[in-house]
Amino acid sequence: MNHYDVIVIGAGNGGLAAAATLAEKGKKTILFEKHNIPGGCGTSFRRGRFEFEVALHQLSHMGTPEKPGPLREQFRRYGIEKEIEWIQIEELYRVNFPDGTGISIPVDRAKCIAFLQKEFPAEKESIQRYFDTLYRFVEEAAAFSAKSAQSTGEPGDVKKFFMKKGFPKMYPTLANYGLKSSHEVLEEFFPNNKKLQLALNVYWCFMGMTPERFPWSILAKCTYIYMEDKPYYLRGTSMMMNQAILEAAKRMGCVAQMNCGIDKILVENGKAVGVRDEFGNEYRAKKIISNISPIATYGALMDPKDVPEAARAYLKPYTVGISALTCFIGLDCPPEEIGFNTSFTLNYESLDAIADCKDAYKLLPENDPLIATCYTVDDRQVSPEGTSIITAGTLKYGEAWEKLPPEQYYEMKYEAGRRIVARLEKMYPGFTSHIEEMEVATPLTHMRYLNHPHGAIYGYEQDLRQSVFFFPSESKMEGLEFASGWVNACGFGPNYTYADTVATRVAEEV
Amino acid sequence: MGKSIKETLLGTLVHGEEILNEIKVLRETSPDQLTGEDQAAAVLKYHHPKILHLVLTDIYEEGTNGKVFRFSSKTGYLPPFEAGQYLNIFTEIDGVRTSRPYSICSSPRQRAYYEITVARAVQGFVSDYMLDRAKVGDEFEASCPAGVFHYQPVFHSPKMLMLAGGSGITPFLSMVREVTQAGLERDMVLLYGCRNKDAAFFHEELTRMSENFENFRYYLVVSDEDAVWDGARGFITAELIRELAPDYAERTAYICGPEIMNAFCVTQLEELGVPHKNIRREMFGAAKDITKEAGWPEQLTGNEVFKVTVNGERVIEARANETLLCALERSGVRMNVCCRCGECSLCRVQLVSGKVFLSKGMMLRKADEKYGYIHSCKSYPISDISIQL
Repeated sequence: MNHYDVIVIGAGNGGLAAAATLAEKGKKTILFEKHNIPGGCGTSFRRGRFEFEVALHQLSHMGTPEKPGPLREQFRRYGIEKEIEWIQIEELYRVNFPDGTGISIPVDRAKCIAFLQKEFPAEKESIQRYFDTLYRFVEEAAAFSAKSAQSTGEPGDVKKFFMKKGFPKMYPTLANYGLKSSHEVLEEFFPNNKKLQLALNVYWCFMGMTPERFPWSILAKCTYIYMEDKPYYLRGTSMMMNQAILEAAKRMGCVAQMNCGIDKILVENGKAVGVRDEFGNEYRAKKIISNISPIATYGALMDPKDVPEAARAYLKPYTVGISALTCFIGLDCPPEEIGFNTSFTLNYESLDAIADCKDAYKLLPENDPLIATCYTVDDRQVSPEGTSIITAGTLKYGEAWEKLPPEQYYEMKYEAGRRIVARLEKMYPGFTSHIEEMEVATPLTHMRYLNHPHGAIYGYEQDLRQSVFFFPSESKMEGLEFASGWVNACGFGPNYTYADTVATRVAEEV
Repeated sequence: MGKSIKETLLGTLVHGEEILNEIKVLRETSPDQLTGEDQAAAVLKYHHPKILHLVLTDIYEEGTNGKVFRFSSKTGYLPPFEAGQYLNIFTEIDGVRTSRPYSICSSPRQRAYYEITVARAVQGFVSDYMLDRAKVGDEFEASCPAGVFHYQPVFHSPKMLMLAGGSGITPFLSMVREVTQAGLERDMVLLYGCRNKDAAFFHEELTRMSENFENFRYYLVVSDEDAVWDGARGFITAELIRELAPDYAERTAYICGPEIMNAFCVTQLEELGVPHKNIRREMFGAAKDITKEAGWPEQLTGNEVFKVTVNGERVIEARANETLLCALERSGVRMNVCCRCGECSLCRVQLVSGKVFLSKGMMLRKADEKYGYIHSCKSYPISDISIQL
């Protein structure tokens, strides 16, 4: 009875999509989640008359109904596209500079170029060249990955030699920019313009990686995808989307066990063959897909003797990434009353972003860039009429919070909240007097709900040597696969689509 | 061994060789990550362990109608909490595993023990057990302190208006103890509504603290007309608040007490023009008599027994006037639970078919409403139902 084709551990974005795809393909699938709700990072919580989104700002990969992106196609297959009210976001983001000026980026290639050229007339030609390069880069990367997907197995030495010679000629933009940092590339195009660099380099602080280590390829791909597929939000928070996926998976035959964590992966002859849940029940399957970190998968769920040496060596270069410090705020006034007119803002305290990055290691917010989102701007129904919801925070490494004596935790947590609110008060006078509900989430809060080491929200650090071409996506044990932000690009869209790819492959194997 | 095609091609990228070499070196020299240690759990055991293993170390009478229970930890360590938070204490009574949330009344400034106060309740399944059968040395499991009924320095006023009723005094006792013991710069006015002086908990201690500390004023408000009492009388009305805390507009108000008192205080604060954002309410548990709640179907007495199909497999019986959570617990279904007040959502289940009455105070998410999820602690079956855990 407890035999399945596939067992999925964890109902985060990746686990849910993997389970839904497998069920869709008729595979006997069971999904385990230790929490009482599905979603992992993508959930919501209630305070007073507000429901707060925990993680999602803008959903990528959707595309419009007429020109669907991969995620919309996937949701169509699950039968949930029409269950959800999608909200297209018209403005990509706004960058607020320390001098009080700001720039709002339109979600359209041509409009964005024209707008930036008007704002920065001296850089007119460089802006055009930058976007041309960015588009060419993403297209070359797509062409290359389509071609590699067709090839099977390792080519012989002779072929390798010719491929090595031919690659930089066939894919010159990819070869030139594929392993450069966003800092290096932006310095190349806009050497003397810090403001323009910050306006374009926005995703570094969303990912919490200093521009000197942040792969330009991620910045390029994010920019391209949002411009082409448009950013979306949805009615009812990411919890709605994740619940919809779970219900779809169940409809298609997947067994879902909430409130049921996995204690052990059963290994026989070096192969993962099943799991044991926290109540001692055993389940067996042909494949196990882990939606939790590789660290916990091998480290916490396996007997040390079962952990493959290859996995130890493989994971050594990877370092656990950043966490977050976030204030979830419900206001008793509409956003325009305090002047919050754009939904997604990035707020800099100085133009020297690289110097400010060091603050991510500190306990409290100092000059860290502040990400502030007002969900009410895009969805007036997100909270009761006449109120608004704002989340504001900055990315922080967990270590400083881990070292804090527990006695000082609450004091520091509220001091962090106070500093973030003070920044908002400066930008939106009267802000504080309208706060009706507020919750502060520290790296330890993320740790508690996600169970990730160091409270990491994106898995491993997304730098040049750990991401893009180097994600640790390989399994080092037969019968085991991974689908999560730890082993691929993080974020909702990338996780859902990656898990779909993994599950599709697994479905053919079982 | 030669390089793989992936490495070969990446090597042709600008910086490719450098990065590949870095990875190669790190693979040889970096520490092993797979040590088996659960890093998150190792940190969180001091902040928010999943479960507390408590020992009842002392019991003493409080007022005429309750007892204080002192718990220490089997491990010796108790995590910090915020004054006003509660513990959900699990018990097994005559083979039924259940739990009840109790506000911690001891100060967070000492953590040798946590104390709770249990008041005698009509038909109190757990309170009777605690008051009559629990003894020093008994062991209990409890959730870590939780709840959002506490002072929040970022947006609450340092001037507090505390409105308590009956055993709802307990979170305030923790707050007052903390503020006075630690010399915190806060100003507290406490209005405590009780039938008479004997029904009040901690009256002597509160009186003494109010005499010793300028930043704490305390008024017992007695409602029994024939009670002997020379202080404030009646209910906690707008008029009384205006009289005893004339600066109420500068204060954040906190209400904790029986559901009726709680709702009445809100109307009085509203009458005074106190904005919604300045009113903090503690949640309350299952209604004493759910059939009295607005919207209860008239044709049901509450004594009807319905069938509840659990996970399509098992059928249990549930009385209409008892929460679904209690019915599940009574049948031995192991439930994830914490607040039992509709707030935390841990006891969430999916209603597959049939009808339930949803009591006030259930804080559902939008996705819950869409996909039929309910919090079993505030749901009452009013037909045969089928649920999915």
